[in-house]
Amino acid sequence: MTREHVLEVVTRHLVDTIEELEGVEIDPVKSMKDLGANSLDIVEVVSCSMRELKVKVPRSELNQLNNINELVELLHKSVQEKEAAAD
Amino acid sequence: MTEPNDPDTPRVTLTIEDGIAELWMRDEPGNNAFSRGFVAELLACMDTLSRDTEAKVCVVRGLPELFSAGGDRNMLLDLAEGRLAPYDLELTRNLIELPIPTIAAMEGSAVGGGLIFGLACDMVIMARESRYGTNFMDLGFTPGMGTTGLLQFAVGEYLAAEMMFGCQYFKGSHFEHRANVNAVVARAKVLAHARKLALRLTDKPRFAIELLKRQLALPRRQAFEAARTAESMMHQVCFAAPETRARIRENYNQVADDQPSSGPQPGEKPRPS
Repeated sequence: MTREHVLEVVTRHLVDTIEELEGVEIDPVKSMKDLGANSLDIVEVVSCSMRELKVKVPRSELNQLNNINELVELLHKSVQEKEAAAD
Repeated sequence: MTEPNDPDTPRVTLTIEDGIAELWMRDEPGNNAFSRGFVAELLACMDTLSRDTEAKVCVVRGLPELFSAGGDRNMLLDLAEGRLAPYDLELTRNLIELPIPTIAAMEGSAVGGGLIFGLACDMVIMARESRYGTNFMDLGFTPGMGTTGLLQFAVGEYLAAEMMFGCQYFKGSHFEHRANVNAVVARAKVLAHARKLALRLTDKPRFAIELLKRQLALPRRQAFEAARTAESMMHQVCFAAPETRARIRENYNQVADDQPSSGPQPGEKPRPS
Protein backbone atom coordinates (compact mmCIF):
# COMPACT_ATOMS: atom_id res chain seq x y z
CA MET A 1 0.00 0.00 0.00
CA THR A 2 1.37 3.40 -0.94
CA ARG A 3 1.76 6.46 1.24
CA GLU A 4 -0.69 8.27 -1.07
CA HIS A 5 -3.32 5.66 -0.32
CA VAL A 6 -2.85 6.16 3.43
CA LEU A 7 -3.09 9.93 2.95
CA GLU A 8 -6.30 9.44 0.98
CA VAL A 9 -7.79 7.33 3.80
CA VAL A 10 -6.89 9.86 6.51
CA THR A 11 -8.10 12.82 4.42
CA ARG A 12 -11.39 11.10 3.62
CA HIS A 13 -12.10 10.37 7.29
CA LEU A 14 -11.11 13.93 8.18
CA VAL A 15 -13.61 15.38 5.71
CA ASP A 16 -16.27 12.89 6.83
CA THR A 17 -15.73 14.00 10.42
CA ILE A 18 -15.50 17.75 9.91
CA GLU A 19 -18.20 18.72 7.45
CA GLU A 20 -16.79 22.22 7.02
CA LEU A 21 -13.78 20.70 5.20
CA GLU A 22 -15.95 19.39 2.37
CA GLY A 23 -14.44 20.68 -0.89
CA VAL A 24 -11.48 22.26 0.91
CA GLU A 25 -7.98 21.21 -0.11
CA ILE A 26 -6.33 19.62 2.94
CA ASP A 27 -2.77 20.72 3.61
CA PRO A 28 -1.10 17.77 5.40
CA VAL A 29 1.54 20.05 6.87
CA LYS A 30 -1.17 21.36 9.16
CA SER A 31 -2.43 19.62 12.27
CA MET A 32 -6.03 18.46 12.46
CA LYS A 33 -6.49 20.98 15.25
CA ASP A 34 -5.40 23.75 12.86
CA LEU A 35 -8.17 22.58 10.55
CA GLY A 36 -10.77 22.96 13.27
CA ALA A 37 -10.82 19.45 14.76
CA ASN A 38 -11.41 19.05 18.49
CA SER A 39 -9.99 16.13 20.45
CA LEU A 40 -13.01 13.89 19.86
CA ASP A 41 -12.93 14.68 16.12
CA ILE A 42 -9.28 13.57 16.12
CA VAL A 43 -10.10 10.35 17.97
CA GLU A 44 -12.76 9.62 15.35
CA VAL A 45 -10.44 10.30 12.39
CA VAL A 46 -7.56 8.24 13.80
CA SER A 47 -9.67 5.30 14.92
CA CYS A 48 -11.60 5.15 11.62
CA SER A 49 -8.34 5.33 9.64
CA MET A 50 -6.71 2.57 11.71
CA ARG A 51 -9.78 0.41 11.38
CA GLU A 52 -9.85 0.79 7.59
CA LEU A 53 -6.10 0.20 7.25
CA LYS A 54 -6.34 -2.74 9.68
CA VAL A 55 -3.46 -1.49 11.83
CA LYS A 56 -3.21 -0.47 15.45
CA VAL A 57 -0.68 2.12 16.57
CA PRO A 58 0.07 2.49 20.28
CA ARG A 59 -1.22 5.60 22.01
CA SER A 60 2.25 6.57 23.13
CA GLU A 61 3.34 6.94 19.49
CA LEU A 62 0.20 8.81 18.42
CA ASN A 63 0.72 11.28 21.24
CA GLN A 64 4.00 12.44 19.68
CA LEU A 65 2.46 13.58 16.40
CA ASN A 66 2.36 17.20 15.28
CA ASN A 67 0.56 17.19 11.93
CA ILE A 68 -1.30 15.11 9.37
CA ASN A 69 1.87 14.18 7.49
CA GLU A 70 3.34 12.63 10.63
CA LEU A 71 0.16 10.64 11.21
CA VAL A 72 0.26 9.40 7.61
CA GLU A 73 3.94 8.43 7.99
CA LEU A 74 3.23 6.52 11.17
CA LEU A 75 0.23 4.69 9.74
CA HIS A 76 2.10 3.93 6.51
CA LYS A 77 5.00 2.50 8.51
CA SER A 78 2.60 0.25 10.41
CA VAL A 79 0.97 -0.90 7.18
CA GLN A 80 4.36 -1.71 5.66
CA GLU A 81 5.43 -3.64 8.78
CA LYS A 82 2.20 -5.60 8.65
CA GLU A 83 2.63 -6.37 4.95
CA ALA A 84 6.27 -7.44 5.49
CA ALA A 85 5.22 -9.75 8.31
CA ALA A 86 2.58 -11.33 6.08
CA ASP A 87 5.10 -12.08 3.28
CA MET B 1 -24.10 28.82 47.66
CA THR B 2 -22.18 25.71 48.60
CA GLU B 3 -18.45 25.99 48.89
CA PRO B 4 -16.42 23.30 47.18
CA ASN B 5 -13.98 21.23 49.24
CA ASP B 6 -11.06 23.38 48.19
CA PRO B 7 -12.06 26.96 47.48
CA ASP B 8 -8.94 27.49 45.36
CA THR B 9 -9.86 24.73 42.96
CA PRO B 10 -13.63 24.48 42.81
CA ARG B 11 -14.38 21.39 40.79
CA VAL B 12 -18.11 21.49 41.34
CA THR B 13 -20.22 24.39 42.57
CA LEU B 14 -23.85 24.73 43.49
CA THR B 15 -25.67 28.03 43.42
CA ILE B 16 -29.33 28.61 44.19
CA GLU B 17 -30.95 31.87 43.18
CA ASP B 18 -34.58 32.82 42.68
CA GLY B 19 -35.70 29.21 42.67
CA ILE B 20 -33.15 28.05 40.12
CA ALA B 21 -30.26 25.87 41.23
CA GLU B 22 -27.22 25.55 39.06
CA LEU B 23 -24.95 22.56 39.51
CA TRP B 24 -21.75 23.41 37.66
CA MET B 25 -19.10 20.80 36.93
CA ARG B 26 -16.03 22.92 36.27
CA ASP B 27 -12.98 20.73 36.76
CA GLU B 28 -11.00 21.95 33.78
CA PRO B 29 -7.68 20.25 34.64
CA GLY B 30 -9.49 16.96 35.23
CA ASN B 31 -11.84 17.26 32.20
CA ASN B 32 -14.85 16.81 34.49
CA ALA B 33 -13.93 13.13 34.60
CA PHE B 34 -15.32 11.03 37.42
CA SER B 35 -12.27 10.77 39.64
CA ARG B 36 -12.84 9.95 43.30
CA GLY B 37 -12.34 13.54 44.42
CA PHE B 38 -14.58 14.97 41.72
CA VAL B 39 -17.35 12.48 42.42
CA ALA B 40 -17.15 13.23 46.16
CA GLU B 41 -17.67 16.94 45.47
CA LEU B 42 -20.46 16.26 43.02
CA LEU B 43 -22.24 13.98 45.48
CA ALA B 44 -21.82 16.56 48.26
CA CYS B 45 -23.42 19.26 46.08
CA MET B 46 -26.28 16.94 45.15
CA ASP B 47 -26.77 16.11 48.82
CA THR B 48 -27.02 19.81 49.66
CA LEU B 49 -29.50 20.31 46.84
CA SER B 50 -31.61 17.36 47.95
CA ARG B 51 -32.01 19.01 51.37
CA ASP B 52 -32.74 22.48 50.03
CA THR B 53 -36.38 23.52 50.06
CA GLU B 54 -36.28 26.70 47.96
CA ALA B 55 -35.09 25.57 44.54
CA LYS B 56 -37.74 24.56 42.02
CA VAL B 57 -35.45 23.30 39.28
CA CYS B 58 -31.76 22.58 38.74
CA VAL B 59 -29.65 23.28 35.66
CA VAL B 60 -26.74 20.84 35.40
CA ARG B 61 -23.88 22.28 33.37
CA GLY B 62 -20.28 21.47 32.51
CA LEU B 63 -17.44 23.28 30.78
CA PRO B 64 -18.19 25.08 27.49
CA GLU B 65 -16.15 22.56 25.48
CA LEU B 66 -16.62 19.51 27.65
CA PHE B 67 -19.64 18.47 29.69
CA SER B 68 -17.88 15.44 31.13
CA ALA B 69 -15.24 12.95 30.00
CA GLY B 70 -16.91 10.16 32.01
CA GLY B 71 -14.99 7.52 33.93
CA ASP B 72 -11.52 8.41 35.04
CA ARG B 73 -8.77 5.91 34.12
CA ASN B 74 -8.03 5.02 37.73
CA MET B 75 -11.70 4.53 38.42
CA LEU B 76 -12.01 2.14 35.48
CA LEU B 77 -8.94 0.19 36.54
CA ASP B 78 -10.30 0.01 40.09
CA LEU B 79 -13.54 -1.28 38.64
CA ALA B 80 -11.63 -3.83 36.57
CA GLU B 81 -9.71 -5.01 39.59
CA GLY B 82 -12.71 -5.20 41.88
CA ARG B 83 -11.56 -2.36 44.15
CA LEU B 84 -14.34 0.05 43.33
CA ALA B 85 -16.76 1.45 45.83
CA PRO B 86 -20.07 1.80 44.03
CA TYR B 87 -19.93 5.56 43.62
CA ASP B 88 -20.68 5.46 39.92
CA LEU B 89 -23.97 3.89 40.90
CA GLU B 90 -24.71 6.57 43.47
CA LEU B 91 -23.96 9.33 41.00
CA THR B 92 -26.70 8.52 38.51
CA ARG B 93 -29.16 7.31 41.14
CA ASN B 94 -28.77 10.40 43.31
CA LEU B 95 -29.27 12.62 40.29
CA ILE B 96 -32.47 10.82 39.28
CA GLU B 97 -33.68 10.94 42.88
CA LEU B 98 -33.26 14.69 43.36
CA PRO B 99 -36.64 16.05 44.50
CA ILE B 100 -36.74 18.73 41.81
CA PRO B 101 -36.49 18.44 38.02
CA THR B 102 -33.06 18.68 36.44
CA ILE B 103 -32.11 20.18 33.07
CA ALA B 104 -28.82 19.09 31.50
CA ALA B 105 -27.22 22.00 29.65
CA MET B 106 -24.75 19.94 27.66
CA GLU B 107 -22.80 22.71 25.95
CA GLY B 108 -19.65 20.65 25.62
CA SER B 109 -18.99 17.11 24.49
CA ALA B 110 -19.88 14.20 26.75
CA VAL B 111 -18.39 10.74 26.76
CA GLY B 112 -19.42 7.45 28.38
CA GLY B 113 -20.59 7.92 31.95
CA GLY B 114 -20.45 11.68 31.39
CA LEU B 115 -23.08 11.42 28.69
CA ILE B 116 -25.25 9.16 30.81
CA PHE B 117 -25.02 11.57 33.74
CA GLY B 118 -26.52 14.23 31.48
CA LEU B 119 -29.15 11.90 30.07
CA ALA B 120 -30.24 10.96 33.59
CA CYS B 121 -31.64 14.50 33.89
CA ASP B 122 -35.33 15.16 33.35
CA MET B 123 -34.71 17.46 30.41
CA VAL B 124 -31.74 17.61 28.06
CA ILE B 125 -30.32 20.36 25.83
CA MET B 126 -27.47 19.38 23.49
CA ALA B 127 -25.12 21.47 21.35
CA ARG B 128 -24.96 20.96 17.59
CA GLU B 129 -21.17 21.31 17.49
CA SER B 130 -20.34 19.06 20.46
CA ARG B 131 -19.86 15.33 20.32
CA TYR B 132 -21.63 12.69 22.34
CA GLY B 133 -20.72 9.04 22.55
CA THR B 134 -20.40 5.95 24.68
CA ASN B 135 -16.91 4.45 24.36
CA PHE B 136 -17.23 1.57 26.84
CA MET B 137 -16.89 -1.17 24.20
CA ASP B 138 -13.76 0.46 22.79
CA LEU B 139 -12.31 0.03 26.26
CA GLY B 140 -13.19 -3.64 26.15
CA PHE B 141 -16.19 -3.84 28.44
CA THR B 142 -19.95 -3.55 28.30
CA PRO B 143 -21.53 -0.18 29.15
CA GLY B 144 -22.11 0.79 32.78
CA MET B 145 -23.77 3.51 34.87
CA GLY B 146 -27.17 2.46 33.57
CA THR B 147 -26.26 3.26 29.96
CA THR B 148 -27.98 0.20 28.52
CA GLY B 149 -31.27 1.52 29.90
CA LEU B 150 -30.94 5.30 29.87
CA LEU B 151 -29.45 5.79 26.41
CA GLN B 152 -32.52 4.23 24.83
CA PHE B 153 -34.71 6.83 26.51
CA ALA B 154 -32.77 9.63 24.90
CA VAL B 155 -32.03 8.37 21.42
CA GLY B 156 -34.23 5.30 20.87
CA GLU B 157 -33.33 1.64 20.72
CA TYR B 158 -31.65 1.52 17.34
CA LEU B 159 -29.50 4.60 17.61
CA ALA B 160 -28.58 3.54 21.16
CA ALA B 161 -27.46 0.15 19.83
CA GLU B 162 -25.39 1.85 17.12
CA MET B 163 -23.74 4.10 19.70
CA MET B 164 -23.05 1.34 22.23
CA PHE B 165 -21.67 -1.15 19.69
CA GLY B 166 -19.91 1.28 17.36
CA CYS B 167 -18.64 3.81 19.92
CA GLN B 168 -19.00 6.73 17.49
CA TYR B 169 -18.74 10.24 18.83
CA PHE B 170 -21.75 11.73 17.08
CA LYS B 171 -22.09 15.45 16.71
CA GLY B 172 -25.09 16.97 18.43
CA SER B 173 -26.45 17.84 15.00
CA HIS B 174 -26.76 14.09 14.34
CA PHE B 175 -29.37 13.87 17.10
CA GLU B 176 -31.50 16.70 15.78
CA HIS B 177 -34.84 15.20 14.68
CA ARG B 178 -33.57 11.74 15.73
CA ALA B 179 -33.27 11.87 19.47
CA ASN B 180 -35.88 12.31 22.12
CA VAL B 181 -34.17 15.25 23.83
CA ASN B 182 -35.67 18.70 24.37
CA ALA B 183 -33.50 20.68 22.00
CA VAL B 184 -30.29 20.59 19.99
CA VAL B 185 -29.11 24.18 19.54
CA ALA B 186 -25.90 26.08 18.82
CA ARG B 187 -23.40 25.64 21.64
CA ALA B 188 -23.48 29.32 22.49
CA LYS B 189 -27.24 29.11 23.09
CA VAL B 190 -27.41 25.92 25.20
CA LEU B 191 -27.09 27.50 28.63
CA ALA B 192 -29.50 30.33 27.87
CA HIS B 193 -31.98 27.79 26.48
CA ALA B 194 -31.73 25.68 29.64
CA ARG B 195 -32.10 28.71 31.91
CA LYS B 196 -35.14 29.93 30.00
CA LEU B 197 -36.71 26.51 30.37
CA ALA B 198 -35.86 26.54 34.09
CA LEU B 199 -37.42 29.96 34.54
CA ARG B 200 -40.80 28.62 33.47
CA LEU B 201 -40.85 26.32 36.50
CA THR B 202 -40.14 28.97 39.10
CA ASP B 203 -43.73 30.16 39.51
CA LYS B 204 -45.11 26.66 40.08
CA PRO B 205 -45.70 25.33 43.62
CA ARG B 206 -42.75 23.34 44.92
CA PHE B 207 -44.92 20.51 46.36
CA ALA B 208 -46.55 19.96 42.96
CA ILE B 209 -43.19 20.08 41.22
CA GLU B 210 -41.86 17.42 43.60
CA LEU B 211 -44.84 15.14 43.00
CA LEU B 212 -44.63 15.46 39.23
CA LYS B 213 -40.87 15.00 39.25
CA ARG B 214 -41.21 11.74 41.14
CA GLN B 215 -43.86 10.47 38.75
CA LEU B 216 -42.07 11.47 35.55
CA ALA B 217 -38.68 10.18 36.66
CA LEU B 218 -40.05 6.79 37.65
CA PRO B 219 -39.66 5.04 34.25
CA ARG B 220 -36.06 6.28 33.97
CA ARG B 221 -35.36 5.20 37.51
CA GLN B 222 -36.74 1.74 36.87
CA ALA B 223 -34.81 1.48 33.61
CA PHE B 224 -31.67 2.56 35.43
CA GLU B 225 -32.04 0.00 38.22
CA ALA B 226 -32.81 -2.83 35.80
CA ALA B 227 -29.90 -1.83 33.59
CA ARG B 228 -27.48 -1.62 36.50
CA THR B 229 -28.39 -5.10 37.68
CA ALA B 230 -27.61 -6.60 34.27
CA GLU B 231 -24.58 -4.35 33.72
CA SER B 232 -22.98 -5.51 36.99
CA MET B 233 -23.23 -9.11 35.86
CA MET B 234 -21.79 -8.29 32.44
CA HIS B 235 -18.94 -6.38 34.11
CA GLN B 236 -18.03 -9.43 36.19
CA VAL B 237 -17.47 -11.31 32.95
CA CYS B 238 -15.68 -8.47 31.14
CA PHE B 239 -13.37 -7.44 33.95
CA ALA B 240 -12.20 -10.99 34.46
CA ALA B 241 -10.69 -10.82 30.95
CA PRO B 242 -7.06 -9.60 30.83
CA GLU B 243 -7.80 -7.91 27.48
CA THR B 244 -10.14 -5.45 29.17
CA ARG B 245 -7.47 -4.20 31.58
CA ALA B 246 -4.95 -3.94 28.75
CA ARG B 247 -7.41 -1.92 26.66
CA ILE B 248 -8.16 0.48 29.49
CA ARG B 249 -4.43 1.11 30.01
CA GLU B 250 -3.85 1.45 26.27
CA ASN B 251 -6.72 3.85 25.70
CA TYR B 252 -5.99 6.23 28.52
CA ASN B 253 -3.03 8.49 29.06
CA GLN B 254 0.07 6.65 30.12
CA VAL B 255 0.62 8.70 33.23
CA ALA B 256 1.54 7.84 36.77
CA ASP B 257 -1.19 5.80 38.38
CA ASP B 258 -1.90 8.43 40.99
CA GLN B 259 -2.72 11.11 38.44
CA PRO B 260 -6.28 11.46 37.31
CA SER B 261 -6.54 11.16 33.59
CA SER B 262 -9.39 10.49 31.35
CA GLY B 263 -11.26 11.10 28.18
CA PRO B 264 -10.39 13.77 25.68
CA GLN B 265 -7.87 16.34 26.76
CA PRO B 266 -8.40 19.81 25.33
CA GLY B 267 -5.97 20.23 22.47
CA GLU B 268 -4.72 16.72 22.95
CA LYS B 269 -2.98 14.71 20.26
CA PRO B 270 -4.90 11.85 18.74
CA ARG B 271 -5.44 8.66 20.61
CA PRO B 272 -6.74 5.38 19.36
CA SER B 273 -10.26 4.67 20.32
